[in-house]
Amino acid sequence: MRNPMPRRAVLKTLGALGLGVAAGLEPGARAHAQAPSFGQNESVQDAMKWLFGGKTIKDGSAIIKFDIPLIAENGSVVPVAVSVDSPMTPASYVKYIYIVADKNRIPVVTRVTLAPEAGKASVGANIRLGETGEVRAIVEQSDGTLLQVAREVKVTVGGCGG
Amino acid sequence: MSDIGKVRLRVPSSIKPGDVVQVRSLIIHPMERIERDPQGKIVAKNYNYINKVIVTYLGKTVAVFDTTQSVAENPFFSFTFKATDPGQLKVQFLDTTGGRYEGTADIKFS
Repeated sequence: MRNPMPRRAVLKTLGALGLGVAAGLEPGARAHAQAPSFGQNESVQDAMKWLFGGKTIKDGSAIIKFDIPLIAENGSVVPVAVSVDSPMTPASYVKYIYIVADKNRIPVVTRVTLAPEAGKASVGANIRLGETGEVRAIVEQSDGTLLQVAREVKVTVGGCGG
Repeated sequence: MSDIGKVRLRVPSSIKPGDVVQVRSLIIHPMERIERDPQGKIVAKNYNYINKVIVTYLGKTVAVFDTTQSVAENPFFSFTFKATDPGQLKVQFLDTTGGRYEGTADIKFS
């Protein structure tokens, strides 16, 4: 072997990197087991369980306006808008708006935390949809009431990849 | 990809005190999707996507978006706030690689 030292050095570095990766991954995995975080690969049932526990979710079609196309030709950009007809005072306001796509590998798309200063509970975003399925908008009010509106969206070309 | 982190904020041109104002924001960001190897296993790596968007007005937090990879590339967000005093509206975008991008708009009454 003409040049053994650099090779050994390279191997050592690789080994150290491997250890680093392993050490870096493990606490993350453990943290997930305790308190799930957003952006996990999970089923929608699991997601709903850790988000809302066993609490009942009422139908919110009376006050929630959920704008989403019925047919999304391109799943990688789907505009959604949620607005809630609710007062925004410190005593009673919309605390969280969740958008959950049932069929996505990462079902929880976003959680919006609102303050009474927002003046109106109205948010919008562009989301991805992997395949045809239900998309829900779930609203949690400051007193803990959960309201939900679900829409079936047909997706022509999925946008979640992988 | 040098455009990553470019933020655009759209605020209505005329605002009156007390108005509830709708703001639209856009950021250029790849929002990497999950990758899988040929066996279908998820490639474990630190995906670069925005996981938090913080909206502050006059130093107070108005809205926080916790986002995941299910949000589209170059994401667009809209939100509202109640314009009470002239001041600064700031939107911060935080991604998983520690990137921090922000856009500001000065709220003035005409």
